[in-house]
Amino acid sequence: MTHLEDKDEKTSKDTIIALLLVMAGVGGGILIVSAPAQQLLGESLYSIRSAFHGLFAGIFMITATIGLYQAFRLWSCAPLNIREIEVGSLLNAFSCFMTILMGNWVYIPYRAVGGPKSHFLENIPEIHKVFFEFKEFAALFTLPLAVAAAYLICRYGERLNSNKQLRETTALLLILTFFYFVVAFGLGAAITKLKSV
Amino acid sequence: MNTKTDLDKLGTAQAALLAVTVGILALALSNLGAEASKSFQISIHNIGKLWIPGAEGIGPYSGKETIALIAWLASWWIFHSLLRRREWNNQWVLAIFLIGIACATTLLWPPVFSYLGHILG
Repeated sequence: MTHLEDKDEKTSKDTIIALLLVMAGVGGGILIVSAPAQQLLGESLYSIRSAFHGLFAGIFMITATIGLYQAFRLWSCAPLNIREIEVGSLLNAFSCFMTILMGNWVYIPYRAVGGPKSHFLENIPEIHKVFFEFKEFAALFTLPLAVAAAYLICRYGERLNSNKQLRETTALLLILTFFYFVVAFGLGAAITKLKSV
Repeated sequence: MNTKTDLDKLGTAQAALLAVTVGILALALSNLGAEASKSFQISIHNIGKLWIPGAEGIGPYSGKETIALIAWLASWWIFHSLLRRREWNNQWVLAIFLIGIACATTLLWPPVFSYLGHILG
């Protein structure tokens, strides 16, 4: 009976996944053909690179927030699903890396003549000299922190369930990743509102 | 590569933690150096240009990233070699880590590094 139930459940999952894929394909096709995507991205020459930077920052916001929740579980000695936090921490480190990579790419037009940096220096220099400069460094803090957290989780694995010091150390790394992400993301969003590339 | 016994101690974790501290402090110090000295700023920009695509447009920031990356990964390798079969007092390692992060954050706050760069320059 149990075996039969498992088989039924698997069949339902396959059907659901197949239907969702078809729906995504049809929806995506209609969007590609008919959506005025360029209007959404804006007329800037650098709209694609800034869109990718924002996209990865958005993904990083999700993974860093999940990381904060996992840090709470580590800190409070709650039972852990190691496989789950391994995958989460690797995605967190990857999205962090991609956000920084895309940030470098979008930094070029930011600094270019006539770009936001010149605009700020001419009109409100504190925005660049204080907030942007701090943001660009705070963002870099997140990569070694997120990578170190992922490394500890993947390397020590099940030992995290029994070693309190290890749990606290890993939790600390995840909390700091979240903190520096929020600083960089918040300042980046505020600055982009004032003048984007 | 860690053996099972290596992971019974915290040394591998401590190495990762200390390497983060070194990398972040290297970022703070390279930025301070660039603020204090124009020639240092040009030198680190040249380091960034060696390998980062578009480093000309990114500016000296590319060199600061490079220095931080090298310091982080090299120190990780060194600390890992030193600590993988043993461990230091974890309270001390955590204290060094947190004080290092706090110092780097303070040094990278623009009013602070502008002031220090002016004094050192």
